[in-house]
Amino acid sequence: MTVRVNPNLARTLQKFGAETATQCFHCGNCTIVCPLSTDENQFPRRFMRYVQLGMEDKLKGAIEPWLCYYCGDCSRLCPRQASPGEVMMATRRYLTSLYDWTGLTLKMYTNKSFEWLTAAGVFAATLILAFLLQGSPPYDHADLSKFLPRSYVIFGGMLFGLGLAGALFLNVLRMHKSIIYGTGIQLKYGESLKIPLSVYVKELGTFLYHFVTQNRYSQCTERSRYIKHFLLVLGFLVFAGYAGFMVIAEVIKEGFRVAFIEGSAHAIFPALHPVRLLEYAATIVVLYVVIDAFLGRFAKKEPIHQHSHSTDWTFLVLVGGTVLTGLLTHIFRNIEGMAAATYWSFALHLAFIVTLFVMGAFFAKWTHAIYRPLALYFIKVKESAFRWQNLPI
Amino acid sequence: MGSNSILVVGGGISGITAAVEASEVGYEVFLLEKRPYLGGRVTQLNQYFPKLCPPNCGLEINLKRIKNSPYIKFFTQAEVEEITGQEGNFTVKVRLSPRFVTDKCTACGKCTEVCPVERTDEFNYALGKTKAIYLPQIFAFPFKYAIDAQACEGEKCGKCLAACPYGAIDLKMQPETMTLEVGAIIWATGWQPYDLTKLEQYGAGRYKNVITNVQMERLAATDGPTGGQILRPSDGKAVSRIAFVQCAGSRDENHLPFCSAVCCMASLKQVTYVREKHPDAEISIFFIDIRALGRHEDFFNRVKDLGNINLIKGKVGTITEDDATKDVTVQVEDQEAGRLLTETFDMVVLATGMEPTSKHLPFELPRTPDGFLADTVPGIYGAGCVKRPLDVAGSVQDATAAALKAIQSVVGR
Repeated sequence: MTVRVNPNLARTLQKFGAETATQCFHCGNCTIVCPLSTDENQFPRRFMRYVQLGMEDKLKGAIEPWLCYYCGDCSRLCPRQASPGEVMMATRRYLTSLYDWTGLTLKMYTNKSFEWLTAAGVFAATLILAFLLQGSPPYDHADLSKFLPRSYVIFGGMLFGLGLAGALFLNVLRMHKSIIYGTGIQLKYGESLKIPLSVYVKELGTFLYHFVTQNRYSQCTERSRYIKHFLLVLGFLVFAGYAGFMVIAEVIKEGFRVAFIEGSAHAIFPALHPVRLLEYAATIVVLYVVIDAFLGRFAKKEPIHQHSHSTDWTFLVLVGGTVLTGLLTHIFRNIEGMAAATYWSFALHLAFIVTLFVMGAFFAKWTHAIYRPLALYFIKVKESAFRWQNLPI
Repeated sequence: MGSNSILVVGGGISGITAAVEASEVGYEVFLLEKRPYLGGRVTQLNQYFPKLCPPNCGLEINLKRIKNSPYIKFFTQAEVEEITGQEGNFTVKVRLSPRFVTDKCTACGKCTEVCPVERTDEFNYALGKTKAIYLPQIFAFPFKYAIDAQACEGEKCGKCLAACPYGAIDLKMQPETMTLEVGAIIWATGWQPYDLTKLEQYGAGRYKNVITNVQMERLAATDGPTGGQILRPSDGKAVSRIAFVQCAGSRDENHLPFCSAVCCMASLKQVTYVREKHPDAEISIFFIDIRALGRHEDFFNRVKDLGNINLIKGKVGTITEDDATKDVTVQVEDQEAGRLLTETFDMVVLATGMEPTSKHLPFELPRTPDGFLADTVPGIYGAGCVKRPLDVAGSVQDATAAALKAIQSVVGR
């Protein structure tokens, strides 16, 4: 088997954060202390080797970066202080940029100014659009549905969501291709792989299980991070669920026409309504985790917080901004004479959300949620397809 | 003007060599040793690599040269407290701790029969115990007993006073201070094994059957705690499966960032001990790289040919102990086989590295980032392992060079 090497790979990966990969002297300590590394899927040492030697093809089809959860044991115990955990993080960023068909991820990961300008551009555009589309809101009391008609938000949000989902789906197709043909069992000369739909259906459980439980993360030595992460995801799901629930509720109550075109009045739950309490809980959880991550990245005590890529900060700022402006909107709305402030914070809230989703769609920060379970799923599908076709494994 | 005497601090192989070399050119030499006997860590070795000869024969010749020299004055249990002055005119304050045993001692051993207190035997690296009054080792020079001031209960016990037929014990002995005027100083305080308790992944000293390479020397020595049988500490079982774990602390930025230079050869040498005592034993060596430099490559090849030896490339990640059997399990990425290996052994020998003893000095001296002495002060010269990790042969050469430097410094004064 021939191996093609890309002598510039190490330099490329440096831009994604793998600055220490060349320090590794291959003792293998990281791989053996890693609680997630197995005989079949060994990392991080092999990836240090791939980066050092420029074995691009090995890297491109790999699923191991998606199996790594950055527990940090490898970096803590590395005799060369070569931060193997961070190199794995960099390979995740690298793979994310490879999967992205628009090429924007690559640009944003490797060019700080481009990343910040994009974020600022999306943010400003959303803000301007919000004020352009605004109705004639009252200023003696706050009424958000008069400021920005509900139908605009719902219709725009739907379009926006579908667009992002479509883009992401194309990325997933590219990921599928690179894993199915790039890693694990290799086809021999003359063999071709056919994967019937039934195999995809049969192995779907793998995807769902890992998507919902994020179970592998709990195998890290330090379990508290899994719990924090799990809570964060629950918080996000509550927010997303709330938005979805509201739309469905409106459609059922008032019909498509009102919900999407004419716009209904903004429903406000009473103070102790369970939905509202759930929202409060989610707000507290997400704020707590974001502040915790901020402080962690400043203190640099844990390996996972020692090398912050600019996109890590962007993500935290966007999540933090979204939650804070949401909270402010909620507070101002209930205070008399704060109508203008309510509208402003709501517009900012929208701008933060849209920027978060746009940026998130490009960064591993957001997309890893589906790439991780998909990696496990695709490799299962591949094995299953080999068996189905009676090809030697 | 000034003094043309030379002070050698440290009575190990480097210090002894420097003292002998300088004195045989005709210079007055003061030799100070912290322990109650000369010879240092070399006395604790079973054999030298690569010739596998016992250290005592070479050491004995050097001790005889010291004994016969009219120019060497040596002091045991002596430590430097302060150095003032400069090249040609150093004033050195030395603290002499009491031995509590006088020159009348014939090493008959009657005292140990009555002594009620035990102490950890540091000569055997804590693998055994001695009485509070003890003969440091069977080749001790001077050949006299000593009393461990920390362990001894003092005059309120006094059983040894009555038991000694020669009246050689004096429990009233006090510490003394002496002042030396010297022209040059050779600092040869050597090394110490890296502290096992810092290696949390390897049990931090909690596992009985995880020993260090220096302890292995004692297990293989006929004057050691097991009489030269290689038996594991937990239950005295003869080892049939043994692992050598290289770079235990060395080449590790979190511990000792440098290569300790001797551990690979030391472990290969210890493989020959095991093979000799237990011909059927299965021996594994876990390494990052085997560093058998220069002509030592030949020794490496000879050891490989002994048979039933597994050389596994991979730094051991963790060691765990079985509560019931006290067997120890090693986990490593076996890079040649491409698998994650978990293997259980009767005993594990950690190749703990060399830490320089230059952490606390009685004077200011430049040091390398690793803590070794950097040889740049006029009149004070490092020799041996306090400068860099060295084997015995290298230490002897370095000490000879240091002796020449010291002579050049004081000649004509």
